[in-house]
Amino acid sequence: MPRPLIPPIVTEQPALTELRYEVRAFLAEQIRAGAFVPHVDTWLTRWDRDFTRELGRRGWLGMVVPSEYGGQGRSYLERFVVTEELLVVGAPVAAHWIAERQIGPSLLRYGTEEQKQAFLPGISRGEIVFGIGMSEPDSGSDLASVRTRAERVDGGWRLTGTKVWTSGAHEADGFFALARSAPLDPAHRHDGLSQFIVDLHAPEIEIRPIISMGGDHHFNEVHLGGVVIPDARVLGQIGDGWSQVTSELGFERSGPERFLSTFQLLAAAASAMNEGSLPLDAGLGRHVARVAALHHMSFAISSALEERAESDAGGSGAAAAAGDVDVDTAAAAVKVLGTTEEGDITDYVDTLTASGWPRGDELFSLLEAAILQRPGFTLRGGTNEILRGVIARGLGLR
Amino acid sequence: MADAPLTSHPVADPDLVDVLAGLFDDYRQRRPGPSVHLAFDADLWGRLDDLGLTRLSASEASGGSGAGWLEAAALLGIAAGAAAAVPIAEHDVLAAWLLESAGLPNDGRLRTVCRPDPSGVAINVTWASEATSIVALWEDRDQWRVSDVATERAEITAGRNLAGEPCDTVTFDLADLESGVVVDHTIGEQFHLRGALARSAQVVGGMDRVLEIVVAHVTERTQFGRPIGRFQAVAHLVADIAMEAALARSATDAAVARAASSDWSDPGMLFAVGVAKSCVGHAASVVVRGAHQVLGAIGTTLEHDLHLLTKPILCRRSEFGSVHEWDETLAELASSAGHDRLWPLVLTGRAAPAPASRGPG
Repeated sequence: MPRPLIPPIVTEQPALTELRYEVRAFLAEQIRAGAFVPHVDTWLTRWDRDFTRELGRRGWLGMVVPSEYGGQGRSYLERFVVTEELLVVGAPVAAHWIAERQIGPSLLRYGTEEQKQAFLPGISRGEIVFGIGMSEPDSGSDLASVRTRAERVDGGWRLTGTKVWTSGAHEADGFFALARSAPLDPAHRHDGLSQFIVDLHAPEIEIRPIISMGGDHHFNEVHLGGVVIPDARVLGQIGDGWSQVTSELGFERSGPERFLSTFQLLAAAASAMNEGSLPLDAGLGRHVARVAALHHMSFAISSALEERAESDAGGSGAAAAAGDVDVDTAAAAVKVLGTTEEGDITDYVDTLTASGWPRGDELFSLLEAAILQRPGFTLRGGTNEILRGVIARGLGLR
Repeated sequence: MADAPLTSHPVADPDLVDVLAGLFDDYRQRRPGPSVHLAFDADLWGRLDDLGLTRLSASEASGGSGAGWLEAAALLGIAAGAAAAVPIAEHDVLAAWLLESAGLPNDGRLRTVCRPDPSGVAINVTWASEATSIVALWEDRDQWRVSDVATERAEITAGRNLAGEPCDTVTFDLADLESGVVVDHTIGEQFHLRGALARSAQVVGGMDRVLEIVVAHVTERTQFGRPIGRFQAVAHLVADIAMEAALARSATDAAVARAASSDWSDPGMLFAVGVAKSCVGHAASVVVRGAHQVLGAIGTTLEHDLHLLTKPILCRRSEFGSVHEWDETLAELASSAGHDRLWPLVLTGRAAPAPASRGPG
């Protein structure tokens, strides 16, 4: 029997479904009250700190953060269903997205006690907003080539360099920067990298907007002009940056934001077919089927990650159900399939609409936004070309 | 952690899966060489019969092993992966179930199954010429009847499907159909769903084996001084095959889990089976096309095993509803769900709120 690419599917039990209903009822009420307008790709494009704080008040942030750090002490599975419900209605979740998905779990895994106390309660309340600083002008897919330098100074490290594509840096309080703390050794390119917790309000930091092709400002270039990061803001171990960054990829790549970015557009298309403004077409069924299958895959990985987290935490070695599946390869597969699908949904709806479609219509505005966001789907978080290579390696091809 | 369980893990009995894997691995080593026409493998059938595997899903009361759909799907997939020439889907999953639903006896002899038209003719009946008896599900005006008709009472015109399996035209004596037992009016749809999911389970089992063959080939075959799997273009083709097969498996396993946990009573079964059939059908395009491209010319020959898998995959994805028909069914469900019910449809398979739903919408 071949080693399966994806962990075995799991079935949601009523305790999780109740949580869905709770979140769904809240969101329906928010939409009715006009608190937000459903949109596409909202985990990148819709910042709303009030909404984020409201989620924190309701206990839907910091879900996997233990209660001693101000979190909810719940599981990745519970976080998964909350995340899905937020994404399918196109809620404005960008402000807390990076902190909730990556920063919190990284702090839990690598942070010092003082760092956890300093940041996790604020993250869990939705009050501290984080970004992530990995890519650079000359480092895209080849992340080990980052050139931002971290030089040892008395009591800390001086960071000099430029990060790009930092979503929301102009709104964020801090970010995690990956920098080279030792000269590049061509034989061991992944050595000598370190992660630093950077206060984005520091005067040595300059944040310049990168305007997207639709005219929106989500991305930034962040220039680190010799800002000194105290030793207490080094994340994990100096020199371990690569393994720290890559250990969280399973979470970053397999979540529901990798296939639900355009769900509002799919729902609008279903509705338009029901009303007769779009022709009823079999393609809708094909796309709905793929989204449903991706939900099962993504949920199965979330369950496997939960088991891994439990066994990391010294649990009872509950990893049996996930078998010997390599979760990072599985996550790469979900990301390739899911981000392709959310883009294909966009293109599909575009091929059904005619030039006479009323411009003010909800479907049209979702479609136009989706078309503009689509190129990013298959680039962010590792391009699909790189990820196919990851999958091929997981299959034993190299 | 909450006290109530958050998830369940619907997996087939691992001991049974081990037995099946061993049995069919062994079969794969010893099976007859490839031929255009597949002959029923009486020896394998006898071994399966001795182990109770030809009646795996039938209830114990009717002489079966009483296993659930998780186990039945595992058997279908593993047998398909070994390209075993035995009609498990027809004989056990469908015919035995129909007989039991109708309260008819089952002596365990080899059966196939079909749905004759109003004139009593059924086309494309797999394995009819090998069976001793054919279970017919027949729509008689507005009711459904089930008959167990001995093969010698029907006229069988032998044919073959693309996979080389017997795929025959069966003409019944109308009296044999008219004397069938009247069954519940939902049986017709149930039959279609069960057949579609059984075929999906077979296709994903076949695709698993195709992926194994593909991976073995690209790591062993050397060109330009290196294994061809090291070439990025080839590696990406293989990754696409693996991903599509995995997507199809997740969709199929989810439908099987839903069938198993509700004994097919879940109102979301139509959607769940449709998702499986759609994903399996479209995955088949990528997997079959990609595998033949990767294997090169040798994969197009009779002597190579690949066609033993790719031909049945393409046959089976079109049975019990074409891929397009299932896409249309899903489109109708999605459009009738509309904007706010699309997500609940994806999760539960129900386009309208359940009467007893405790949730909003």
